[in-house]
Amino acid sequence: MGLEEKLPEGIITTQLETLVNWSRENSTWPLLFGLACCAIEMIATGSARHDISRYGAELFRASPRQADLMIVSGRVSNKMAPVIKRLYDQMSEPKWVIAMGICASAGGPFNNYAIIQGVDKIIPVDVYVPGCPPRPEALLYALDKLREKQAKDSFRTYADLNAPPAPIQPDDIESLETLRQPQLV
Amino acid sequence: MLNVSPRVREYETLPGLTPLGIPAVAPLPSGESTDAARLVERFGDAILAAGLHHDQQVVYVQPDQLVALVDFAKRDPQLRYDALVDVSAVDRADLPISDHRFHTVYQLRSYARKQHLMVVCPIDDGGDPVAPSLAGVHAGAIWPERETWDLLGVRFANHPDHRRIMMPESWPNHPLQKQVPVGGEEVPFTMTWSDPEFESFGRQVMAAQSLPPVLPPGMNRRENMVINMGPHHPSTHGVLRLVVELDGETVVGIDPDLGYLHSGFEKSGENKRYKDFVYYTDRMDYLSAMSNNLGYCITVEKLLGIELPPRAQVLRVMMAELQRIASHLFWLSTHVLDVSGTGMALLMYATRERERILDLFEMACGARLTVGYMRVGGVSRDIPPAFLGHLEEFLQAMPVRIDEYEAMLTSGPLWEERLRGIGKLTRAEVIDMGLTGPMLRGSGVDWDLRRDAPYSGYENYDFKVPVFTEGDCFARYLVRMEEMRQSLRIIRQTIDNLPDGPHRIEDRKITPPPRAELDISMEALIHHFKLMTEGFPVRPGMFYHGIESSKGELGFFIYSDGSAKPYRLHVRGPSFNNLYAISKMSKGAMLSDIVTNIGSIDIVLGEVDR
Repeated sequence: MGLEEKLPEGIITTQLETLVNWSRENSTWPLLFGLACCAIEMIATGSARHDISRYGAELFRASPRQADLMIVSGRVSNKMAPVIKRLYDQMSEPKWVIAMGICASAGGPFNNYAIIQGVDKIIPVDVYVPGCPPRPEALLYALDKLREKQAKDSFRTYADLNAPPAPIQPDDIESLETLRQPQLV
Repeated sequence: MLNVSPRVREYETLPGLTPLGIPAVAPLPSGESTDAARLVERFGDAILAAGLHHDQQVVYVQPDQLVALVDFAKRDPQLRYDALVDVSAVDRADLPISDHRFHTVYQLRSYARKQHLMVVCPIDDGGDPVAPSLAGVHAGAIWPERETWDLLGVRFANHPDHRRIMMPESWPNHPLQKQVPVGGEEVPFTMTWSDPEFESFGRQVMAAQSLPPVLPPGMNRRENMVINMGPHHPSTHGVLRLVVELDGETVVGIDPDLGYLHSGFEKSGENKRYKDFVYYTDRMDYLSAMSNNLGYCITVEKLLGIELPPRAQVLRVMMAELQRIASHLFWLSTHVLDVSGTGMALLMYATRERERILDLFEMACGARLTVGYMRVGGVSRDIPPAFLGHLEEFLQAMPVRIDEYEAMLTSGPLWEERLRGIGKLTRAEVIDMGLTGPMLRGSGVDWDLRRDAPYSGYENYDFKVPVFTEGDCFARYLVRMEEMRQSLRIIRQTIDNLPDGPHRIEDRKITPPPRAELDISMEALIHHFKLMTEGFPVRPGMFYHGIESSKGELGFFIYSDGSAKPYRLHVRGPSFNNLYAISKMSKGAMLSDIVTNIGSIDIVLGEVDR
């Protein structure tokens, strides 16, 4: 069909956007960064049996500058929150966040003075993984979900990123307002 | 010489504690104890009460004599309480009393005599409670006292390093005080759409402002270089932050900054029923969840005064030893990864074996990591029939694997170079600092709670306690490798001697009835409902129990006021006390040795920060 019929074998045509997204979703490098119990399952995901490298995500980078994905693996305490925020700000665009486990997603069993009730209070989250801790398979599924999201990414999203990134404002985070059904009001 | 029987000093001597109708006001010792008699003979009126309480030696002492008493107990040849293993305090504001709001509680340990002594010190408050610091007697008091100050607001006079340890310095309160609320947020599903507060949910983005860096006391920024290691650093095993003062590459000073994973376990525990806190303990030392379950359940069971059926005991030992192997395997893999760059292979090998143990746990209880298998009164369910066969296969395979690891490491020159002579601690130092577990046994102290203060029937098993006298990282490595082999021996004995019978006690006030019974018995249904909604009350009193976890002595201190929730719950995390040694081990060494030392202490931050 079209151009491809006329080209020699081994050459395919695609959109640049698709190609970039394809490479991004197949080599998402996570930040080498563990918090609590979930970090142990994250390590288990990275080791031989579950083998996260099937997703091209085995290269855990210790420097946020080289990482694309932050897996928030565990509970976020009040003292740790500024550190996580800074690590996130240090990561270069495009970047994604997986909130692994119920603590990172919503505080989990630790509804108390010490723990922030969900890491989405300080950084935007792409995929939430339920579980306490989630099994390695669940984390792999989350990576799959993230790949779906990455595949739909558009250059337009990053068009205005030449400007210095503004700190995240309260309104940037999706509110429960959007969940409200019109018929329920 | 005091002419009173040591045990029966009337409790009225303790002002403000008179309403004896409320036993929870202060658990009083009642039985006799020779050590208590010796202390009363020496200190006379300063001892408010002394004797046995729940078969545990307890001494109440006036604050002005506390330091003298602990010092005497350390030096007296008849007592020889040479280690201080724990310091905590009880805020009694919610009890019907008017003064002596705080009691500080100390756990003393005699390694030579295999004795344990609890010292309670009611302190005067008047808004600013001050207790004498034991830092001059035991170096091991420094960090636990800082923790007590941070979380409970008890000030320690003459403390060498009186700072907060968990919470940021700017934190407005001392969270474990009773008037401070648990905190957290209201759960959204209790609200309705019309609730005005609903608008704010999901919009509470916190500022998360970084705190300005503070130079720890005693560090010289002009002469030396001060660098920051962690909380995000691959070799700190979590979110530990070390402020390191360097002269060239030599470590001059090191100051650990904890609390990046402080999760308020103790506050949560004081607001949960006894049975509900079991699941929290999984998440403390998440590498040895079974041991945490075990330590907590034993403490509650001792307070309840119940005996477990033999099958439950053996199953507990089996799981705890499997967990010890799993924890040591994880320690080994991360330690090798940190120390030598070629450790990735060993990480893969060791996690392969660890996965087998996790599979066994999954067979037994359905979870891999946070198991919640042990419950108050037994274990949650019996092991499935296929379990023992898989365990047998694992036992066959594992000794060969341990030999393989040793072949890769023990005789390897690189491994030896990085570990031998590094992080040396003498026998006197480890006892003084209150270290436990492999830290003790690597420095020549022959002490293992499984053998020397047996619980769960450990006295019935034949195993050796590995002890090495070098006191360096290599000795600790050898201790842990040998402990894995000994754990295999214990597991073998549990298989051979696994008795039949129930896997938990039949007391329906404490353990739920079997599911099948609920369909046919109204009484079982009522029991189930009562247990799930109200829990079970625990008789008033206080108890400290330590078990030998893979990292060291894991102790739980529970102060019960007779209700279904613990009035005060304190956890003595072995990693926390062991981590205190990092500055002693690393001073004068190279920067890269810090990494070796952290790995050798074997910390888990969930337990350090709690």
